[in-house]
Amino acid sequence: MDTKLNSLIDKALSRRNFLAGAGSVAAVGLMAGCANDGVTNMSGGSSTGSYTDADVLNFALNLEYLEAQFYLYAATGHGLATTDTSIPSGYTGTYTMGTVTTNSSVAQVGGGITAAQQQIINEIAYEEQEHVRFLRAALGPAAVPMPNIDLTFFAPLASLASNGALTSFSPFASFDAFLVGAFIFEDVGVTAYAGAAPLITAAGVASGYLTAAAGILAVEAYHAAYIRTAITGRAIAAGSATAYPYITYANDVAALRATLTVGNSGAPGTGTGNTGAAGSSTSVEVPLALPTGLTTPSSIVAADSKTAIGFARSVNQVHHIVYGSATVGAKSGGFFPSGTNSIFSTTTA
Amino acid sequence: MANLETQILDDIIVTGRRKLLTLGSAALAGLVLGSAKEAHAATTYNDSDILNFALNLEYLEANFYYLAAFGCTIDKPNAAAIAAGAPAAGIPITGSVGTAGTVTGGSKVPFVTTQVASYAIETAIEEGKHVLFLQSALSTLAVAQPAINLGTSWQMLGSALTPAAPTFTPYDSEADFLLGAYVFEDVGVTAYHGAASLLTVSGNLSAAAGILAVEAYHAGLVRTTINTLDTTGTTLIPVTNAISNLRAALAVQVAASTTYDPSPDDYGLATFQVSLAGGANVTATRLVDAAADNSKTFAIATARTVGQVLNIVTGGSSFKNGALTSPATGVFYPNGMNAGPNGFK
Repeated sequence: MDTKLNSLIDKALSRRNFLAGAGSVAAVGLMAGCANDGVTNMSGGSSTGSYTDADVLNFALNLEYLEAQFYLYAATGHGLATTDTSIPSGYTGTYTMGTVTTNSSVAQVGGGITAAQQQIINEIAYEEQEHVRFLRAALGPAAVPMPNIDLTFFAPLASLASNGALTSFSPFASFDAFLVGAFIFEDVGVTAYAGAAPLITAAGVASGYLTAAAGILAVEAYHAAYIRTAITGRAIAAGSATAYPYITYANDVAALRATLTVGNSGAPGTGTGNTGAAGSSTSVEVPLALPTGLTTPSSIVAADSKTAIGFARSVNQVHHIVYGSATVGAKSGGFFPSGTNSIFSTTTA
Repeated sequence: MANLETQILDDIIVTGRRKLLTLGSAALAGLVLGSAKEAHAATTYNDSDILNFALNLEYLEANFYYLAAFGCTIDKPNAAAIAAGAPAAGIPITGSVGTAGTVTGGSKVPFVTTQVASYAIETAIEEGKHVLFLQSALSTLAVAQPAINLGTSWQMLGSALTPAAPTFTPYDSEADFLLGAYVFEDVGVTAYHGAASLLTVSGNLSAAAGILAVEAYHAGLVRTTINTLDTTGTTLIPVTNAISNLRAALAVQVAASTTYDPSPDDYGLATFQVSLAGGANVTATRLVDAAADNSKTFAIATARTVGQVLNIVTGGSSFKNGALTSPATGVFYPNGMNAGPNGFK
């Protein structure tokens, strides 16, 4: 982690546009067919631009693999079935199926969780599993297999976020720890889909991919709201951030996410959250508030402070976060020790 | 993000009125799906028509939350509202299109917990910002606030539930306030979701996606809080199922079910069974309002057409004798929505 920490300090990243080539996306020729389940298949896409709709959806698929593995291990102690991670029939790409790195801490959430809490983890695990299946079905033979995923990265990430205060954090240790682990992903998922949706070509819109992406965006926001509401509510019940340190852990994560993407389009000017000038946000992070009494607002929603419109992140910003690295040119790291199976896998400024 | 408004404004002006999809074929979220009933004229709509439809919904939501959280309407903020961040001058309710209507009914909820009170305040302020944002984006094309019924509308709605709750009001307790919020939020999600593929200007799509996210945050917040309060699953959760059932019934009146938006297209908070990798079925909460058929819907949220949303918020009055009628009036919109010459109403 020292390397990453140093890179955080050293990097002075230059601003850039949303995404390389974003302005020159060309329509994608889709060979639309129908899979057995009625999902339109988009295999064989070609493009005269820098990437295709399939590339955008495969980027999302990488994130869904990660989320699904995390939630399934949390719910059951096991990950996705091989049929949901393997190379699809007819695949002509070069990516190979990876494995999930675990250790003894990666297990069904412990700490004496209640039946009601288990049901919540079950729901999110199920929905993320279905998102993997949806994207694989939609992509058909173009779907990339699961990359290598490291579910032991939570501990070093928490150490980084807390400036070394947390040395052995595991999101599987208790329900409260699970909430913090989920917090790492969910707001990012929302912003990733919000950023990816406008990248879909007109042909992709006509094929229903925009609508599907918007539908997944909504579900990710429901999840994010659950996590933020649960952490806020439990902190209110406990009475203070001292009594419920998980709210601080979550906000440390939000601050770290901001730091990892500093300098990028739409990214924050500081690592401390929404500290932009009055009337406009320069951060895509909104830390959780701890309301007191009946007259102060909560901050469940992560949105622009002036317009109350949700944020978007570029594919590059998302990669910086899931790699746990502000380094430009990083090809792997963090949750993806061999990188994502995506043409966007190398981070940029 | 301040630039976003400018950009959207520019986009609207520059791009002007564009072609557009018909209410039926395109609003249908499920382009992937099959055809739906197209019991309506093949009117075309442009981005401003769609954003104005959203603005009508935001006027309704913002006034509901302002009344519940502060006891005032959006145009006349009281001290409590201003202290919480409402614009001191109030949110304008006039527009270039239509006559500003009044809001009837509604009062401050007697909050007793920090959790629910703080959520109500946050949501009120955010919905007010959505009104301001859409007004700004639409500029001279923005519609005025329509007449809004937030009083007797709740009893009309309650009477339509099964089992009926003819005396329902969201203003007498925190729990009932949450049920009132439940009525709106999931609908807001489906409305923005359905609108997304109708928009032709990139900046508008980005904004709609951002508002969709916020509506889903609100919906998730409301569902989470109700789920937390009803620990036995016997007090509030059955009402959420009744509300969802009503919404689903009103939606399917207008458009047939499809793969991703099946019938019912709406689910209350009662738990359900899911199949996780490598295991048998397990019980799950339903904090996300998404259909859950293993083979078809993939946990993707519902998108509704404008016609479906209209039928829900007017209590079924937009669909009569097998066809959409216009203007739809009733329940929350006693005089119908405000819309331009070609807009949705």
